[in-house]
Amino acid sequence: MAETTSTAPTTTDLVRGTLEGRRVNPVNTLVSGLLLIALLSSLLVLAVLLADVFGKGWGLLTERGADFLTTPLSPNAVDAGIFQGVMGSIALTAIVIVVAFPLGVAAAVYLEEYAPTNRLTQFITTNIRNLAGVPSIVYGLLGFSVFVNLFSGATGGRTVITGGLTLALLVLPIMIITTSEALRAVPTALREASMGVGATRWETIRHHVLPVALPAILTGSVLTVARAFGETAPLLLSGAVLSLYFAVPPEAGFVSLMTEQSYTALPMIIYNWARQPQEEFVALTSAAIIVLLAMLLIVNAAAIVARDHFERKST
Amino acid sequence: MIARLLRLVASLAALAMVLAACGGDTTTSENGDAEGDAGGGTIIISGSSTVEPISALVAQAFDDANGTASTVEGPGTGDGFARFCAGETDISDASRPIADDEAAICAEAGIEYVELKVAFDGMAVLTSPANETVSCLAFTDLYALLGPESEGFQTWSDANDLASELGAPNTPYPDAPLTITAPGEESGTYDSFVEIVIEGLAEERVGEDSIFTRADYSAEANDNVIINNLAGNDTSLGWVGYAFYVENSDAVKAIEVDNGESGCVAPTEETIADGSYPLSRPLFIYAKTTDMSDATGAFVDYYLSDEGLVFVTEAGYVPLPDDQIAATRAAWEEATAG
Repeated sequence: MAETTSTAPTTTDLVRGTLEGRRVNPVNTLVSGLLLIALLSSLLVLAVLLADVFGKGWGLLTERGADFLTTPLSPNAVDAGIFQGVMGSIALTAIVIVVAFPLGVAAAVYLEEYAPTNRLTQFITTNIRNLAGVPSIVYGLLGFSVFVNLFSGATGGRTVITGGLTLALLVLPIMIITTSEALRAVPTALREASMGVGATRWETIRHHVLPVALPAILTGSVLTVARAFGETAPLLLSGAVLSLYFAVPPEAGFVSLMTEQSYTALPMIIYNWARQPQEEFVALTSAAIIVLLAMLLIVNAAAIVARDHFERKST
Repeated sequence: MIARLLRLVASLAALAMVLAACGGDTTTSENGDAEGDAGGGTIIISGSSTVEPISALVAQAFDDANGTASTVEGPGTGDGFARFCAGETDISDASRPIADDEAAICAEAGIEYVELKVAFDGMAVLTSPANETVSCLAFTDLYALLGPESEGFQTWSDANDLASELGAPNTPYPDAPLTITAPGEESGTYDSFVEIVIEGLAEERVGEDSIFTRADYSAEANDNVIINNLAGNDTSLGWVGYAFYVENSDAVKAIEVDNGESGCVAPTEETIADGSYPLSRPLFIYAKTTDMSDATGAFVDYYLSDEGLVFVTEAGYVPLPDDQIAATRAAWEEATAG
């Protein structure tokens, strides 16, 4: 290399500097360090939370075992279980799946596959996105005024149907959005090929688009349902009982349980127990939180299994 | 593919239905020794979260013996009366007597009821155990520190001038930060505190529109948070229900309250029951007498029996003295006789 007399660094010098000099770029190191700290701090919060909950609740859970799940609520902390909460949450989730899943998928299929692209559909899409961001307490108010008051004849007022429908409304926009995204990810070539050999639009959707999109739709849906599972605010307003003790008549049948009897859900029990002053309720609250986390994990695991299952089918 | 998916959804729904249907069975209690002639039926109880633990214990024992199905909630006295006067509940728990406007709504809806006093609840004025300078306060002191005119006071001593103007007996206060944590306005405990401590002086000095505490304090709905805040601050001030104080008496210190006659009184079961501790209130249940079901009638009978009133103590409240129990039972008999 030719030596230059100029004091200003030439391009050659700069390149050499970069190649031969310190390999460590300070800015790079700083940024990656900061990002790592961000990651670790959020993990740390999670770890602290889990350690706290497990520290307080694990003892009670191992001691009581499955009894804790099958014992009903009681104002006596010693006998209290979460039976009504587990049942209520499962029933609510089932209603959400039955109502929101078909409606959400159907709406998304229409929006993505059938609806013409014009101002109106754009307007509707934007609104659905906005609805997905509406705080859940607002859906609670909606549930209260519509399902508890207006349609109390059909829902029975403060019943599990009311709660389930309110939660279904809450997750519907998210269900539509995730399904739309899954449908949009299906290559257009697939649709063209199918129609090219003479399939109708519905045949194309049914045999080619939906099977390919299904794993993504399922994953999105289950995550959405999991959100409904943990909601408390809308249930507070749509009639779930916030209670240390309640019972349903032993002879009550399915219809009565759905449309006449009091109900509650796991997050409601956690919220109610957390405000009790007695020491024993601290352990109960933590144990109930562990159960809630476990149920959420099971739901998410089921989503993964279902996704893998349908992914294998479609290929 | 779609059919399989539909089957999956349908089987999930069926599973939930089966599980929900099982729900009835396991909450069943043996239909054993009957307490009354209720013979099944449902009883809906709502209202004060302070009374809720008593009613919940009574309801559980009653359901176990009779095969009834009760629901006990505690959204607050005001919410409870709103539902009670809308005909949605059979019994309303209350930590204060029904207000005139609430009674008017009940009357308009044609709902008649009987007020039954079942227990006492004391409120405890609390500070941190580390606060050694303050051990007794009179209502005038509390008004100077917590009333509507105290807004903006950052330290205890800021209230000195107002307190001496009121003739409060425990001045001067320490020159230390005044950090207040107490129940929020939605709470029955807040209402009772204002009625007992603040109302008289506030009406006289500021006018009828200013019957509330200062607004610049941290209002908490969760009593555990209140206790934590009071314990964690050396010169804190606040109040909670007596039951919450008893549960946490090692973490916080109760300030004695001057009743104006015999001097400073500490909150104990005895001083609350005999009325010498001034910061206490009676607790009520309101039973709907219009179209009362057999189950509700038998439930109240049980509530007011010796066996039922045991749960007052169990829930951490102060039982009524004998003459007041007799008065409550007489009121119930009179209401059901007609």
